[in-house]
Amino acid sequence: MKKLKLAFASLLLALSFSSIIAFAQTGIPVSGQVKDEKGQTLKGVSISVKGNSAGTSTDADGRFSLNVPSRESILVFSFVGYDQQERKAGNKFLDVTFNLSNKQLDDVVVVGYGTQKKVSMTSAVAAISGKDLTNRPVTSLEQALQGKVPGLTILDKGGQPGAANTPIVLRGVNTLYTSEDLSGASVAPLVLIDGIEQPFSNVNAEDIESISVLKDASSTAIYGSRASNGVLVITTKRAKAGKIMVNYGGYYGSQKAVTTPKPMDLASYLHLENLAYKNVGSAPPKPYRDQDIDAYIQGHATDPLHYPLPYDWYSRAFHDAAQTNHTLSISGGNENFKGRASVRFQDQNGIIDNTNSKVAEARVNTDFRVSSKINVSMDLDYRYENDHNPYGLANILQFMTQNAIWVVPRYPNGDYGGGAQGNNPLLLIDKGGYNHQVSDYLIGNLKGVWQIVKGLNFTTQFASHSTNVYGKLYQNTWATQDSTVVKKSNLHNMLTESRNDNRDYTLNNLLDYSNKFGDHGLKVLLGYSQIQYSSNTLSAYRQDFYNNDVQSLSAGANDATKDNSGLDAGWGLRSYFGRLNYAYKDKYLFEANGRFDGSSRFTGNNQYSFFPSFSAGWRISQESFWEGLLDKVNELKLRGSYGKTGNQAVALYSYFPTLSLVTYDFNNLAAQGYIQSQIANPDLTWESTTESDVGLDASFLHNRFTLAVDYYKKRTSGILLTLPVPGTLGLQAGPQNAGKVDNTGWEFTLGSQNQLGRFGLGVTLNMSINTNKVVDLAGTGPFYYGTDQNPRYTIQEGYPIYSFWGYKTAGFYQSDADAAKGPFYTRTAKAGDVRYVDMNKDGQIDANDQTYLGNSFPKFTFGGAFNLSYRAFSLNFALQGVAKSSVRMAGAFGQGGNYEGMVPDIYTNNYWTPDHPNAEFARPTKQDLRNQTNNDRLVLDASYLRVKNAQLVYRLPATWMKKANISQASVYVSGTNLLTFSKLNAWHLDPESMSGVQNYYPQISVYSVGFNITL
Amino acid sequence: MRYYKYIVIALAGTWLLQGCAKDLLNTVPNDRISTEIFWKTDNDATLAANAIYLDMAETADHFIGWDCMSDIVFTNPTGPVEASIAQGTFNALNSRISGDWSTYYAGIRGANSFMTHVGEVQTTNPALISRLKGEVRAMRAYFYMRLVSLFGDVPLVTTEISLGESEKVTRTPAAKVWDFVAAELDTAATLLPAKQTDLGRVTKGAAMAIKARAMLYAGRYPDAATAASQVMASNTYSLYPTYKTLFSYAAENNAEDILDIQFLPDVYPNNIFQAFAPRSVNANSKWVPTKKIVDAYQMKNGLDITDPSSGFDPANPYLNRDPRLGYSVFVPGDVLPNGKTFNSLPNSTTGDAVGSSFVVSPTGFNIEKYVNKEDLSKPADCGINFILIRYAEVLLTYAEAMIEQNNLDASVYDAINKIRQRSDVNMPPITSGQTQDQLRAIVRHEREVEFAFESLRYFDIRRWKIAGTVMPGKVNGLTYKDTNGVFQTVEVPGWTQTWDDRNYLWPIPQKEIDLNKNLTQNTGW
Repeated sequence: MKKLKLAFASLLLALSFSSIIAFAQTGIPVSGQVKDEKGQTLKGVSISVKGNSAGTSTDADGRFSLNVPSRESILVFSFVGYDQQERKAGNKFLDVTFNLSNKQLDDVVVVGYGTQKKVSMTSAVAAISGKDLTNRPVTSLEQALQGKVPGLTILDKGGQPGAANTPIVLRGVNTLYTSEDLSGASVAPLVLIDGIEQPFSNVNAEDIESISVLKDASSTAIYGSRASNGVLVITTKRAKAGKIMVNYGGYYGSQKAVTTPKPMDLASYLHLENLAYKNVGSAPPKPYRDQDIDAYIQGHATDPLHYPLPYDWYSRAFHDAAQTNHTLSISGGNENFKGRASVRFQDQNGIIDNTNSKVAEARVNTDFRVSSKINVSMDLDYRYENDHNPYGLANILQFMTQNAIWVVPRYPNGDYGGGAQGNNPLLLIDKGGYNHQVSDYLIGNLKGVWQIVKGLNFTTQFASHSTNVYGKLYQNTWATQDSTVVKKSNLHNMLTESRNDNRDYTLNNLLDYSNKFGDHGLKVLLGYSQIQYSSNTLSAYRQDFYNNDVQSLSAGANDATKDNSGLDAGWGLRSYFGRLNYAYKDKYLFEANGRFDGSSRFTGNNQYSFFPSFSAGWRISQESFWEGLLDKVNELKLRGSYGKTGNQAVALYSYFPTLSLVTYDFNNLAAQGYIQSQIANPDLTWESTTESDVGLDASFLHNRFTLAVDYYKKRTSGILLTLPVPGTLGLQAGPQNAGKVDNTGWEFTLGSQNQLGRFGLGVTLNMSINTNKVVDLAGTGPFYYGTDQNPRYTIQEGYPIYSFWGYKTAGFYQSDADAAKGPFYTRTAKAGDVRYVDMNKDGQIDANDQTYLGNSFPKFTFGGAFNLSYRAFSLNFALQGVAKSSVRMAGAFGQGGNYEGMVPDIYTNNYWTPDHPNAEFARPTKQDLRNQTNNDRLVLDASYLRVKNAQLVYRLPATWMKKANISQASVYVSGTNLLTFSKLNAWHLDPESMSGVQNYYPQISVYSVGFNITL
Repeated sequence: MRYYKYIVIALAGTWLLQGCAKDLLNTVPNDRISTEIFWKTDNDATLAANAIYLDMAETADHFIGWDCMSDIVFTNPTGPVEASIAQGTFNALNSRISGDWSTYYAGIRGANSFMTHVGEVQTTNPALISRLKGEVRAMRAYFYMRLVSLFGDVPLVTTEISLGESEKVTRTPAAKVWDFVAAELDTAATLLPAKQTDLGRVTKGAAMAIKARAMLYAGRYPDAATAASQVMASNTYSLYPTYKTLFSYAAENNAEDILDIQFLPDVYPNNIFQAFAPRSVNANSKWVPTKKIVDAYQMKNGLDITDPSSGFDPANPYLNRDPRLGYSVFVPGDVLPNGKTFNSLPNSTTGDAVGSSFVVSPTGFNIEKYVNKEDLSKPADCGINFILIRYAEVLLTYAEAMIEQNNLDASVYDAINKIRQRSDVNMPPITSGQTQDQLRAIVRHEREVEFAFESLRYFDIRRWKIAGTVMPGKVNGLTYKDTNGVFQTVEVPGWTQTWDDRNYLWPIPQKEIDLNKNLTQNTGW
């Protein structure tokens, strides 16, 4: 880390030095005045010399003066909200007039199956340009998007290379058919890349031209049954006709864990355990007896091999790790043929040894102009990913807090210690075996557009997308040993190889018409789409290889343990859809969408469903009465939408009454059996969400400030829910359409672009508020998940989905007499135990006293992006945070030494004793979790604010570049997750940590140095 | 040329439309079978009956979990749901309770479906169908025996009910359920052969042995004695000569084994070695014997260790004891499956020393029954069968049922002594002339030690109503001399058990009450 900081500092120095050189230039003086079309002088117009870092801005009278290298120099005039203008220096005095052309008028946003002018949008869509995503090194696109779009909540739950856990949720969780950690795909928005559904992670961020986040029903209904969770429409970059452009970008980054848990020191731990035994009336065993403690501490100081620490894994297992990334793109062409090709290589080492991810990807986008009426494009995208991890990584991470106490991590002779339980996470990282996964993704996307007559186009698109995942899981034989005693061994090496092939075909046919009849603007779209998906998995197992280096299936023991399995699955979707846009004088806007979707997941009359939406907008600023206000508010639009979307996230074949295969044996021979285990529900149908949205878009002071506000109200009904059924039925429940969930919320975006002389300042702030509530569970519930000692979640009416559930507490009992008065959770409360609140006042503490304790899904999310520029420098940084979010500590973090888990150092001198009556934690106990059952003391506030990233860029002087025939080049330094404000800092945990035992791969910070060049 | 281009594109478009549209929305799974095509052949009937065996089968944790809820086994660490039942802190939300309810009714559903649909099979082998009916009916009776002994009155469901019906069923009085169990087992016995080719299937003897147990649990002692004596008279079963190897692979399916759960490594394995064996042989010591069961084994002379004249030596507590102690429990000094000596004394430095970690046995004892050295290298892939009913139980059921009727003839002594005098047990026989109370105590003691860790104890302490005496208090382990030469008894830290008389019946699972307003809760819950 130190080295990197040094590199940072020296780079900064070098950059500042070179800019001083640039300053020192002299040349020919030029001056002038800038006015708008009405002849008013304009203040604050920035003027720069093309290809040079010199520049200035106009004063109060619109005047400016500066020196240029030659008469041939080009001056560039730019003013926020106006088209840029270029003038040759030529004369000594320049008179420049700006046309009041609002360039945002022409901004176009990509929407479902088409594009739309931003000003005539009537729905809630956020657009992000590719530039905003790649202005810092990112290992995942999800992380780059975090905090950028109000309403789009992205959680960063850990940074394992190639497997970052970053669930995305738009406008709150809509469905219950998922798990509390949001790992189910059914909560994620639909992602389309160039019109084809693909995983979000499959696109090179450098290839992205724009991302449109379709939020309300008006914008998403055209995707019908898959649109309830919102839609992300990603468009990739295409070539422009002209000179061949070559661009290279690369960076080197060093990653470290944002934070890792910190164990309690040895002396504190021994004393805590000593007390814990005494508190439950037991004599402490070795080494916690009074007479052992000092001896052990002494022993550890002189002979750590005989007196190891209780837990010493985090500091040994985690280290800084390197990451490199290279991107190269070439683009250009002529009117008849244009092409863009790009490649990217990424190599990311993990902060744990033997974790690594390599990505290589290539994309070729081509455009052919077959005739004046026919355009064809053909795109190919290939992605290769190679992920390598130790065998059983989850287990390894768990051993860092549990079941690996008093272990010598490694002896000088190379042996790995075993301690009492025989577990050693370091051994498992180094020698435990591996989990190797190689994925190939290939997408071919062929599209033809035929202009039948002017304004009427027919588009056909066919895409084939295949994903092949090859997995190899090899568990080594190994042993932990202390001196000559083997503590634990794995006697069999085992190999599982798997193949998973998925392919899908998409066909889209579109007919679109657009024309203007006087004041009436009309656009019509009709479309047909179908998707066919199939998957196949195959897996094989052998064990007992000659040694750990022999790793081929055929080389394993050909005994009864050999095993194989396979599975096919498929689904299809057939859809008809349409859209109508009507605008009167570009002032009154109206849009209607509809989609008729058929899905193989349902049967009978439920197979097809219709999803309509309507929206309207009123550009108040276009009204004549507004004219006087245009100087202050140059754009004001009110818009509203209402519509219905669906969700088909139900397990395949759920409607199908089937018998499942089970295996038993008689007389040591396998015997098959068939039995119905689940209720089939032929009445299954779509979840449907109706959503209304009211929004306002405004621009102030010639677009210097922009504001967007949205209020939405969503109700999802017919939620696919596995309702409990009576046990007496003898079958497991299948999914049923029951239950309603509401999500309501506000979204705000405030933008500002300012130029003060040579200083440029751009700020974008956003915030969203989402309230999630289960409204109806069809007369069933409440449902509880989890146990007393692990996070208990509930789904019940009146509360957010997957709320934490447990006891309220009111401090500690301060005396045994006080404790004896009860009410008790256990029958023997003592001083220092948690005082649970008897919510129903029935004199006892039981399940009926449990109540709402919080929710892990944040209610408030906010983000801010800041761009400062001065001459050739620019500084970008982003803030991001959430509020009203909770996390439940469990496992070692909640138990406080009750078993043999690692005790976090926050417990040090912070537990109840008669001398510390106001400590944070209850009195320590042994094997007695009375104080650790789900209660509000263990549900912590997970709100945070963090500097998500900061980047300092220096654009190299054009004069230097000219000599080398380079059109542009820049260098930068950057860092992610730089600073975090959170209550969980005291726990040495990331605020986005997962509830529970905290044995997950930590979030990472990346410090990097990078370079971009365009030829 | 220009038109040519259009034609090519139009053709390509048409081809694309046609190419992949076939049966787009009719995807049929190929990994399962539709109910519509089933119930046609004899094999379908066999497959359907086979599946029901899985609901009678139990995992190692579930199997030993019964004993954990009694006084003879402690679970370590105290995570499993059975621990809260043992401790007395459980309620109607306990997942063992709701899980067992659901499992037995799932088995009953399977059986009811079988009985409803088996008639649809175009059979070529009526004998097979009749035999399968016997197996299925016997298993359904077994499920009801479990339900009624745990919950008391339970809904008696004998047909394939709908979801709506399941939300309305009411509890049938226990006596009626016992009537059903008895009648079904009688019928099953007439349909079943004395021996099955597929070892592990329910036999005629098994049906009658289940009946003997059920009637004993129901307190219908004459019926219990009759059913037991029918098994005894069948001459099909006998005691296995050695207790020591009764639970070994070599003894699988022996003449004492009446009904068991059949396991097969890799295909249908259990993890009993991992769950029972000590830490030092790569296992988890998850379920461990308590001081109570170890102390229950008499001295070899037939006297209790508490008897001053028994010759019990606290310094050598495992010397001259009922040999079944040595066969059932790992005590310090025993040889482990890896050939090493077990030493769990707290001051030993082995990986099994009490208190050295919470994953070693906190009592200093480990279960030896069912721990076989064949499973040493794959402790979670064991094939050893768990015996559900063995002939020894039938003998003691007979004895107990006779004693409870105050029918104290020689056959009673004979039944008990057969067990005490198995060749490698060879405990002194019970001498004649005992009172009913004395014999009752004798047969109860004999059940406790003979069937330790075989999942019978919890049912016994409930029906004998002795749980209130044996359950409360601390859980202790071995007694040893500390460095000062003073005897110390190991105690599980922070663990105190209680008993409430409402526990004699489990609560109806809360979920069932919530979903079916017609279900009443048991008293006290």
